[in-house]
Amino acid sequence: MTILQAARTLAWCAVGLFAAAAPALPHHSFTMFDMSKRMTLAGAVTSFEWTNPHTYIEIDVPDEKGLVKHWSIELGSPSILMQSGWKFNSIRPGDKLTLIVSPLKSGQAGGFLMQATLPDGRVLRNGPQPQTEPRQ
Amino acid sequence: MERSPANRAATVMERSLTTLAFLATAIQLSAQPATNPSDLTGAWGIYRGAKGADPKLAPPPASPLVLKPEYAKPYEERRALESAAAQRGEQLASKSAACIPYGFPTMMSVAIYPVEIIQTPRQMTIISEAFSEVRRVYMDRPQAKIEDVAPGYYGRSVGRWEGDTLVVDTVGVKTSVSGYRGMPHSDQMRVTERFKLMASDVLHDQITIEDPVMLEKPMTYTIAYKRIPDYEMVEFVCDNNREYVDEKGVVRLKLHDR
Repeated sequence: MTILQAARTLAWCAVGLFAAAAPALPHHSFTMFDMSKRMTLAGAVTSFEWTNPHTYIEIDVPDEKGLVKHWSIELGSPSILMQSGWKFNSIRPGDKLTLIVSPLKSGQAGGFLMQATLPDGRVLRNGPQPQTEPRQ
Repeated sequence: MERSPANRAATVMERSLTTLAFLATAIQLSAQPATNPSDLTGAWGIYRGAKGADPKLAPPPASPLVLKPEYAKPYEERRALESAAAQRGEQLASKSAACIPYGFPTMMSVAIYPVEIIQTPRQMTIISEAFSEVRRVYMDRPQAKIEDVAPGYYGRSVGRWEGDTLVVDTVGVKTSVSGYRGMPHSDQMRVTERFKLMASDVLHDQITIEDPVMLEKPMTYTIAYKRIPDYEMVEFVCDNNREYVDEKGVVRLKLHDR
């Protein structure tokens, strides 16, 4: 790691430390998700949508009987995710992932990502953490 | 080896020329136009201060927002509705949920999205990474009358250097573009920004909003930025907005079957 890279990493750590408690989103609040809950989803990715205003992981999750349920998981925007180590090709269809999510309050099969464990064991968060400052 | 008088003369001449060239460069540098004392070109991240850093570099607190009573009431009512909806776990419909850009001045500070400044003698261009919003500040040109500016998301901005401070005047932001913390404004709003480098890598944008129709007194807030060297701005085109507003005016998420 060069000095410049180290400085940049430090700078982003500072952003993470002094920026705010919920991941940064450009255009909506978290109210549709139950941010007090965490659930674990393990399954196979059907698509990874590296798009704005949000990125999505579409994933098939089998239950203990092998019955597959499909989930749509929302992440921050590409810009925000790149600030915590993601790339457009961090995930590919067919990848087996373990996700920790906050589910939709509506009970539908959707949620907001807290962290993803990738096939190579890397753990990625949903943007720099933590975020506490309310957006203006 | 002993150098000939001719060689010595040539060396003296060479040194003199070098000195002259150096002086010429120094004169040229000091003769840079007064309109360009600070180079703001580059990408800037939102800065909220850092442990051990000079506290002056962090943004000072905002002044109170004091709307005239007839405008304060509906504003507070809207804020109360939003807050009550949030308590119920709902988000009320908003332009941003529909992926409509924020406009000025909100675009200057959206979550932790960087802004990019491109400074040329005649124009400052400011690009926000969120929604790829663009402002253009025309340097050393007169401002138009408010009534002559077509209302838009960014209004018309003109700038000038006052010493080491870039002062930008903006009018003509359309009234449907809400401002600081969702504040409303009239078509008479005028925004004055003072950009100043507080350190070589920390920039402040002090934003003062005057609105003789809606505000009891001008309100001021400051955004602080930290330079991000070599940062490459990320594009932001809203082509996959899955939020939609239901019949009750509440934001929902479209889910895919697979």
